[in-house]
Amino acid sequence: MTTQFDRIYHALSPEVGKFRIAASGIAWKGEDSDAMVAVSVNDIKWAQWLRVARNHQLRVGLKDRRRETFDGFMREDHDRLAGLMKQHFGVTLETKEVTFKGWNWGVADFQGQDLAFLVSNKTSFELPLRQVANSNIAGRTEVSLEFASTSNKRPSKHAPDEMTEIRFYVPGTTTRGGRDSEAGSQ
Amino acid sequence: GTGGKEGKTWKRFQSYKGEAALPKEAESLRIFVDRKAQTVILPIHGFAVPFHINTIKNVSKNDEGEFTYLRVNFQTPGQLAGKKEDTPFEDPDCTFIRSMTYRSADGHRFDAVTKQITDLKKEVNKREQQKKEMAD
Repeated sequence: MTTQFDRIYHALSPEVGKFRIAASGIAWKGEDSDAMVAVSVNDIKWAQWLRVARNHQLRVGLKDRRRETFDGFMREDHDRLAGLMKQHFGVTLETKEVTFKGWNWGVADFQGQDLAFLVSNKTSFELPLRQVANSNIAGRTEVSLEFASTSNKRPSKHAPDEMTEIRFYVPGTTTRGGRDSEAGSQ
Repeated sequence: GTGGKEGKTWKRFQSYKGEAALPKEAESLRIFVDRKAQTVILPIHGFAVPFHINTIKNVSKNDEGEFTYLRVNFQTPGQLAGKKEDTPFEDPDCTFIRSMTYRSADGHRFDAVTKQITDLKKEVNKREQQKKEMAD
């Protein structure tokens, strides 16, 4: 049996599409284009649920360490989705806590291919290190990351705002203790 | 005397209590100024990241070819401003976001965003000033 969710985005696509989930795996198909993404049940290793800009994201971890993300799920979809992930793929839909405190200070944490910025031990945002085009250290305490343009299309007035650079102030070699991720990993 | 500034301490502030409070406009993946929450929401790789106006120092804007660039500068310790720092911080040893730069082909929108952020900053500063005068 196939379950369908409408108005779902794949990764950062501007286009919505249909998201389908069945015993054989998951698939997404764009509404306007012929864009198509399919993941086989055998490749699915884990699943996460987190709040992003376009409502909630389903993040699926694959066998080859890649992952696929689908945005646009509503809060009410959580339980149904969690049930389907369990039933079809035997994975638990884990919730990743995101913070909305509005602070610009925290901890930079390398998590696989991302640099996560954590505020009070919760994720504020993640930066995909693969998309860093250039980085620079100035005056020993300032680190800047420049991002390559994600689209090669002509500039459009309706396009999302594109982050081109972020600068961090890193005061020094202070080690920060008592982090959750370090506890209980033995 | 210079005693007036010595009593300055870090005051706790927060943009939103939880994800449900995030305004609908965050979905657009564009910068949004939420005046009611005194917050600027910046899109970062699919996340909608709020920054309370207290964390923001100023914004600057410049046009380059087909694009307009908007840079948001944040309050951080250790800035060589040439004057003595009097901004308190909760934890000066943390990693701070010092600035973020965005680009858009819609220069008019970035003009409007710049004005909204600058006005909100002024409004909050004015209110702080009034509070201080009342206390004196």
